[in-house]
Amino acid sequence: MTDFGFKLSKSSTIDLSRVELDRFEELCRQEPGAKVCIGCGSCTASCPAGRLSGMSVRKVLLGLQRGQKVNDMLQCCMLCGKCTMVCPRGINTRNLILTICRIYD
Amino acid sequence: MTERFNDSFHPFVIPFLAGMAFVITVCLIKAVVVVFQMESGERRRYLLSLLKPNIIVKNIYDIIVDCLLHVRLWKRNRMLGFMHSSIAFGWFMIILLGHIQVLLYCPDRISTFYYPIFFDWFIEGGQHTLISILLDLFLYVILAGIALAIVKRFYSRLFGMRRTTRPTLLNVIGLYSLWAIFPLRFIAEQCARSGNLTLAPWWAYSIALCVFMCVLPFSRYLHIPAEMMLVTMRNAHITISRPGKGIARVQTDSCPNCGVCIDACPMNADPANLKDSTVYLTRQIRRHNDRRVGQISDKCMLCGKCTSVCQVGVDGPKLRILARAARKYNIGPDFSNVRPDVPKSSGKILYFGGCMSQLTPLIGRSIESVLKKSGVEYKWMDRDGGLCCGRPLHTAGRLKEARELVLRNQEAILASGAHTLLVSCPICYREFKERYVLPGISVIHYADFMIELIQSGSIGLKEKSDICYVYHDPCELGRGCGMYETPRRLIAQAAGIAEAPKNRTESVCCGGSLGSLSLDFAHREKITRASLQNLYDSGADAIATACPLCQATFSRYSDRPVKDLAQIIDEQTVAVIDNSRRRETGCDIEGATLAKIGN
Amino acid sequence: MHDNIVIIGGGIAGMEAAKALLALGHTPILIESAPTLGGHVGRWHKLFPDLTSARELVARLRSEIVGANIFLGTQVISMNRLADGYSLKLSNGIVINASALLISTGFKLFEADRKEEYGYGVYDRVITNADLEDWFSGADDARIPQQPQTVGFVHCVGSRDLKACNGQCSKVCCATAIKQAIEIKERFPFARVYCFYMDLRLFGKKYEDFYVNAQRDYAVQFIRGRVSEVSETIDGHLQVKAEDTLSGKPLKMQLDLLVLMAGVVRNTAVQELTSMAGLETDSDGFLRSRDNEYAVVESGQPGIFYAGACTGPKTVPETIAEARSAALSIHAYLKTL
Repeated sequence: MTDFGFKLSKSSTIDLSRVELDRFEELCRQEPGAKVCIGCGSCTASCPAGRLSGMSVRKVLLGLQRGQKVNDMLQCCMLCGKCTMVCPRGINTRNLILTICRIYD
Repeated sequence: MTERFNDSFHPFVIPFLAGMAFVITVCLIKAVVVVFQMESGERRRYLLSLLKPNIIVKNIYDIIVDCLLHVRLWKRNRMLGFMHSSIAFGWFMIILLGHIQVLLYCPDRISTFYYPIFFDWFIEGGQHTLISILLDLFLYVILAGIALAIVKRFYSRLFGMRRTTRPTLLNVIGLYSLWAIFPLRFIAEQCARSGNLTLAPWWAYSIALCVFMCVLPFSRYLHIPAEMMLVTMRNAHITISRPGKGIARVQTDSCPNCGVCIDACPMNADPANLKDSTVYLTRQIRRHNDRRVGQISDKCMLCGKCTSVCQVGVDGPKLRILARAARKYNIGPDFSNVRPDVPKSSGKILYFGGCMSQLTPLIGRSIESVLKKSGVEYKWMDRDGGLCCGRPLHTAGRLKEARELVLRNQEAILASGAHTLLVSCPICYREFKERYVLPGISVIHYADFMIELIQSGSIGLKEKSDICYVYHDPCELGRGCGMYETPRRLIAQAAGIAEAPKNRTESVCCGGSLGSLSLDFAHREKITRASLQNLYDSGADAIATACPLCQATFSRYSDRPVKDLAQIIDEQTVAVIDNSRRRETGCDIEGATLAKIGN
Repeated sequence: MHDNIVIIGGGIAGMEAAKALLALGHTPILIESAPTLGGHVGRWHKLFPDLTSARELVARLRSEIVGANIFLGTQVISMNRLADGYSLKLSNGIVINASALLISTGFKLFEADRKEEYGYGVYDRVITNADLEDWFSGADDARIPQQPQTVGFVHCVGSRDLKACNGQCSKVCCATAIKQAIEIKERFPFARVYCFYMDLRLFGKKYEDFYVNAQRDYAVQFIRGRVSEVSETIDGHLQVKAEDTLSGKPLKMQLDLLVLMAGVVRNTAVQELTSMAGLETDSDGFLRSRDNEYAVVESGQPGIFYAGACTGPKTVPETIAEARSAALSIHAYLKTL
C-alpha cells in the first residue's frame, strides 16, 4: 500500500441518521428545558468551572443531540447556579446537569 | 372508700394491658434501634448526656414545656395551643393524679398499674376527695380539647389554618380512638359512681385505649414518645448526619402532622407545590416512598421557614439535603490541582464577593466604595472570578465535593495572610460560618462591618434619606445565620424603614433560591410575586435586601426599586478624612476598630 | 361628533396616519403626551438601510399634517364608551366625542439598568443604543471616550430574555447595531468594533447588503455569543465575558466602550388607557390585534384601530405602511356608521 503519510481515520462526520436519541428524549421528558436551548453560550461564559476546566453546558447539550459522548465534562460542575441565573431561556441548567448525569451515566 | 370486689381483676382490663404491653415493647425497640444506628461517638455523647444532672433537669423542663404544655404552639396559635396542651397535659395529669389517688387511698394496689385507669370500677365512693375533683376537672379540660379537635378537623379555617393535611387510614383510626377514650371514660365513671355497674362502657373505654396504643407506633401519634426522645437528643447537641437513621429518624417520627408548615411554605403560593411541604416529606419518609421523597427533597428551596415555625423542631432542609446526598450522580469535580488566585493581603481585609455578585456588580462596587471611603486597606479576592464557596454543592447533597472546595478556598484564604474575611453574599457567609475553619481570621458580614465603621466614625452619614425601605430578610442571612437586626439598624440610620407583615424568622423566600434543584424558572414567578406582595404590604417606597439572588429575583418583577443594603449605605455615607492624611496621621482603623469587630 | 377621529400618540405612526386621513378628507385630532411630535424616531440620528436622516423624516411629516388638530403635552385621562363612539376627556380639560380612535402609542425601550450584569448605570463606559443616537445627533456624553480603541455592541439586551420578562425578538436591534457600528467606524476609523450576537436577524430589504458592508468595508467583527457579564478592571476598562460559540471557547476582552442594544418592549405608560378602552394584551405583552395575519390594525373593540409598534416591534417602513392601512380602515369604518 502506498504510504500517504497519514492514516484514514474513522470519519469525523456526524451521521445524524444513525444517532440514537432515546436517552436524549428521556432527558427532555425529565427536564423539558433541554429542548429550548438556543446555544447563546451565556452559561459557558459565566461558568466558574469552565474557566478552570473548559466545561460547557451548551456543548454538552449539543453533543448529546449529535450522538457524542461529552457528558464527562460535567464532572467539573460546582453547581453554583450562575448558568441558571443567566440563561435567557429560563432553563433550569442545574437540574439539566443533574438529570444528564443520572441518565447518561 | 371501699373496694367493690374482692377480686382486683376483671377481664375488661385485658385489652388495655395488651395495648400497653404492645406500645411499650414497640417503642422501646424503636428507641434501641435509633440509639444503635447513631455513630459511635455521638451515641456515647448521647447516652452520657442522659446521666448528667444539669441535662436531666433541662430534659424534664423541655419535655414539660414542649411536649406537654406546647408553649411554642401557644405562641403561634392559641386555639391550636389549647387543643394540644389540653389533651397532652390533661392526660398526663390524669395519669399522675390517678396514681396519687391509688397511693393515698388504696396503697396496697399501687403495683396493679391499671387501677388508676379504672379507679371508679374497683373503688366505691372515691368521688368527693380533692384529688377526685381535680381529676374530673382535667377530664373536662381534655373533653374541651377534644371538642376543639373535632371542630378543627372539619373547619380548620376557624383555627386560622388555610390548609391542613389529609390523614391516612391508620391516622384516622388513631384519631377516632383518641377522641373516644375520654368521653367513654367519662360515661363509665359516671355510671359506676351512680351505682350502675354496666360493663359496656368499661369494655369500650379499655378497647379504645387498646386500639389507640396499638395504632400509635404506626401513625402520627408516634410523635408523642418520639418528641420526648428528640428533646433529649437536642439537649445532647446531636446533629443530623445520616438519612433515615438516628436523630433523622427521630425527627421524622416526631412530626405530629399538625400542618403548620403547609401554610408557612413560600412554595405554596403555587398550589402545584402543596404536597411538597415538610409534613409530606416526613410522611413519605415513614412510608419509604423513595420516589416522592426524592421529588419533595429536590423541589424545596431550603429557605428554612418550616423549621422556624415547626413546633417540634423538625429540620426540613437538613432532612432534604440528606435525601439528596443519598443519590448518586456522576459529578465529582477534582479540585486537587486548583489553587484559587488569592492576592497577598497580609494585615489587610480580604473581600469575597462570591459567584452571584458578579451578576449584580452594584453590590461589590458599593462595598468597595465604602471601603475606600473608610480608608481601610483591602484586597478583593475574587474580582476576576474565584472558586465557589461550596454551599451550592453542599445543598445539592454533594457533601464530599463541597468539602473539597471548602478545603481549597480555606488554604488560599489562610495563605493570603489577611486578618479579616469580609463577605457580602449570605449564601457564602453561611458556608464560611458553618464549615470553614479559619484560625486567626475573623469572618464578617458587611452589615456588621459597616455598622462598626459608622459607629467608630470611620465613615460619616449624610442627612437621612426620605425614602422608606422595607427590608427583606434573605433566608440564608436571617434564618440561616440569625442576622435580623443589624441590617435594620443600618437602614434606620440611613433612611426610613418599614416592616412587612411577615418578616424576620417568618420572612418569605424570594423564589430565586439556589436550594431548589428542580423548581424551574416559570414556576418560580408566583412565589416571587407572593413574596413581593408581602413586602408591598408594608407600604414602603423601595425594597432593601442583602443577597444577590434576592436582588436579581425581585428586580425582575418588582414595581418599585430594589436595592442592596450596601448600595443604600454607600449612597448615604461620606468619607470623613481623606485617605492620604489618614495614613500620615496613623489613624489606623485596622488596629482599633477591626480588633473590636473581630471580637 | 360624526367623523371625529382621535389619534393617540404622535410618533411617526400617528403622524403618517394623520397625513393619510387628511388626504382622505378628514380632520383628525392628534394627541401627544410629549411636548413635541416624532416619538422615538425623532430621537434617532439616521435610519437604516440607506442612512437617511430621521429628523428630516419627522420634519417632513410634521409639515404635512398642519391641517390636523394637534394637542401636545396632553394625555387622555378618561374614556367612556358611547352608543356609536367614545367620549374622551383630555388632561387640558377638553372633552372629545370620537367615532374612531387610532392607538399609535408605540413602544418603550427596555430599561437597560434592569440587566445589572451589563453594568448600565454602574460602570462609566456603558451606554445604550438610544444614548449613542443622542450622541450622534450632537449631544454631549461624557461616557464616550475621545478616541476609543475598542467598542463592543451587545445585541438582545432585554429581548429574547425571559429573565428580563421579554421573550420576544425586538426585530430592529440587529440592523440598528450594524448601523451604529458603521457610524462608530466612520467617527473612529481606527477603533475595532465587535458585535456580540445570539442570532443575526437581517430580514429586510437591503439589510444583508448592510451586513456585508459592515464586514467588508468597515471591518466590524461579529462574535456569536451572548455576553453574560461585564466587569471593570482596575485601570477603568470594561471586561466582557462571552462564549465564542463558533470556536467553542470562553472569551473575554477589554473594551473602551460598550453599547447595549436595548430592546423594544410594550409601552407601560399607556396601560391605563388601554384598560379603559377594554383593549386586550397579546401573549407577547403588546396589544392584541383582531387577527395577527389579516387584521393587524384592528382591535377587538369597534372603532378602535392600531398603527405601529403598539402591537409589536416594527421597522420604520412597516410602521408607515401600517399607518396608511389604518387610515384606510378608519375611512371605510366611518362610512359604515
